[in-house]
Amino acid sequence: MSNKSKKATSGATDGGQQKLAKQRSHDYQDYSAFKVVLFYCSLIVFLPVVTFFVLKGFVLERFFTMSDIKVNIAAAVGAVAALHVSLGVYIYRAYFGGSKSSKED
Amino acid sequence: MSTSTSADNPIYGPFFGVMGAASAIIFSALGAAYGTAKSGTGIAAMSVMRPELIMKSIIPVVMAGIIAIYGLVVAVLIAGQLDVPQNYSLYKGFIHLGAGLSVGFSGMAAGFAIGIVGDAGVRGTAQQPRLFVGMILILIFAEVLGLYGLIVAIYMYTK
Repeated sequence: MSNKSKKATSGATDGGQQKLAKQRSHDYQDYSAFKVVLFYCSLIVFLPVVTFFVLKGFVLERFFTMSDIKVNIAAAVGAVAALHVSLGVYIYRAYFGGSKSSKED
Repeated sequence: MSTSTSADNPIYGPFFGVMGAASAIIFSALGAAYGTAKSGTGIAAMSVMRPELIMKSIIPVVMAGIIAIYGLVVAVLIAGQLDVPQNYSLYKGFIHLGAGLSVGFSGMAAGFAIGIVGDAGVRGTAQQPRLFVGMILILIFAEVLGLYGLIVAIYMYTK
């Protein structure tokens, strides 16, 4: 009788541990997905702004003969190009990386 | 002081440039906000049943955010050229107003399109994953509407 009750309690704790492990793996997956999304979103938001001002400074310093308007245009085009490259990388990752993680589930 | 302003450099010349810079970011941000909110409701409704699709379904929100960056770039470009009326002709003010309005209204149109397409597309992708490629293509075509406005604005800015 005591054995039976022991078995039952051990089974219950096993089930609880499995549930806990499942919950932990879900939490881990959510956390890793959050990290990836946060990285790409901050890349897409901050990369063009940084590119704009860095390009403006460097182009101004290197090609001093360029007019002010040309420097501004080059910096703006560079910022937009950097923006689209990072968006393309994010879509690529979401399309190919996302399907792999859903297969693992 | 009054002799330094003329018919070509009136005191209200910079007003048009300032309005151009303001309208560039205001209307772009309006479109981007609508796109984010509309596709955000779709993501929230979809994620209840399919939480593993979050990474794919964030794409409309990111694309709506890019619309606001277009407006930001043009507004910063115009704001860099603003000056006192003596150095800022009325013609420059008109050009900057046109550049700001073109990127602003194009961004608003693109943001509305991204919001509606993102809402329906994200809900549909949860039911049929093959829709994802189509949703991305439609979103890209909505996004280039804002890009066309940016190109026209930068071209005007160089005049």
